[in-house]
Amino acid sequence: MKFLCVPCDTAMKLQTVGPPERGSLSVVYSCPECGYEMAMLTNAYETQIVQSLGVRIGPGEAASASAPGTTSKCPFPGMIPSTEEARPVQGGEPAPVRWTAAAEARLANIPEFVRPMARTGIERFARERGAVEVDETILDAAREFFGM
Amino acid sequence: MKGYHDIAGDGGSGILAQVAGQRARIADGLAGVRHLVAIGSGKGGVGKSTLTLHLGGALRARGLRVAILDADFNGPSQARMAGVQEVPFVPPPSTKGSGMAGGSRKVPLPRTGNGIGVFSMGSLIPESQALDFESTAPGESHTWRATREFALLGEILASFEWGTLDLLLFDLPPGAERTVQYAEFLGPQTSFLLVTIPSEVSRGVVARSVAALSKGSNRLLGYVENMSGYYCRDCNAIKPLFDSPEPAGLEIPCLGSVPFDPELARHCDRGIPFAELPESPVRQAIDQAAQRLIHVLTATERSE
Repeated sequence: MKFLCVPCDTAMKLQTVGPPERGSLSVVYSCPECGYEMAMLTNAYETQIVQSLGVRIGPGEAASASAPGTTSKCPFPGMIPSTEEARPVQGGEPAPVRWTAAAEARLANIPEFVRPMARTGIERFARERGAVEVDETILDAAREFFGM
Repeated sequence: MKGYHDIAGDGGSGILAQVAGQRARIADGLAGVRHLVAIGSGKGGVGKSTLTLHLGGALRARGLRVAILDADFNGPSQARMAGVQEVPFVPPPSTKGSGMAGGSRKVPLPRTGNGIGVFSMGSLIPESQALDFESTAPGESHTWRATREFALLGEILASFEWGTLDLLLFDLPPGAERTVQYAEFLGPQTSFLLVTIPSEVSRGVVARSVAALSKGSNRLLGYVENMSGYYCRDCNAIKPLFDSPEPAGLEIPCLGSVPFDPELARHCDRGIPFAELPESPVRQAIDQAAQRLIHVLTATERSE
């Protein structure tokens, strides 16, 4: 979608994108010639269609995938149980397993939509071996054990 | 006044460039794969997933490097059948100075006992839960869900470590229209193998899939007739399951007929690999279908 300033016959430039509010994005464009500003306000369906394509609206999104956008960094945030939901913490459940900073860093290097279940599975692997902490040794042992 | 095509770019987001970037990441991820083969039907319940897994096993037993992508996100079965339900996705070691941004490392695939890499949503989501997406338009999923599932497929293709493979098998969901959508999404480098059973209903649906796919640019390798009778171990004979003695009559080559085997079904439920199947006419039929599949793929390669 492109916007044209009709009096100037000039393509308008995207300026800012407001965070989604009740499913609506506020996207502000301005004319580089006359400075006229306009806002595109999407309805929930339009917002959803953009999110479903796995793209983001915002300045410089094409150049940097990690640039702050209007959607979550994870394109499928509701797809799987959240990390917190996946962690057993109540009485009768297995004790929480700590993660070292280095192990967390390795986990952060894989795509976000895989992380919650990766975390749960690795913690289960650690508990089965009597470990209370996931470190890089545990991660390497899991890779070797599962033939990865 | 300027028109759409008179203006370069979209003023900021670069949506088309983002889509091109997604495509490039997918192509990069699949660069080491020799053959992409989608196994579909159009009809549900014909044994696509079982056949995919066992064809994969037969191909692997012939020394080929094989992976399976369970593209049936809403009814994933490969994780259970391949025995990788409980296998976690383990992050690879960090590579200092690799310049990788967060979330950009490829994820190694879980593997079956015989070395087939398997991606299935069944490894990510427990069977007690359904695949769900966050949405700004809840209750209106008919307007966006298919688009989002294809974006998910793209993310999976780009995110996992497919490595060097002879074959990547896609286990497609049912639905003739979905089969065509997968053909268009995966592009002409993906060939199709269709699965039917000896019922007129199934053959009719698969014939529609053949007609629909024939309009596109994907190569139709042929079909396998699954459940072509059942194998009785007591009498060591194939007995009829359907009253359809005539050939399927689909206008594509038949790569094999595979009888139903209750023992094989039990193996699937327990995640036991093909290599451990007892010798039987069913195992031989699967192996023959795999051999013919290799043959048509090789012939395709030569003709290109």
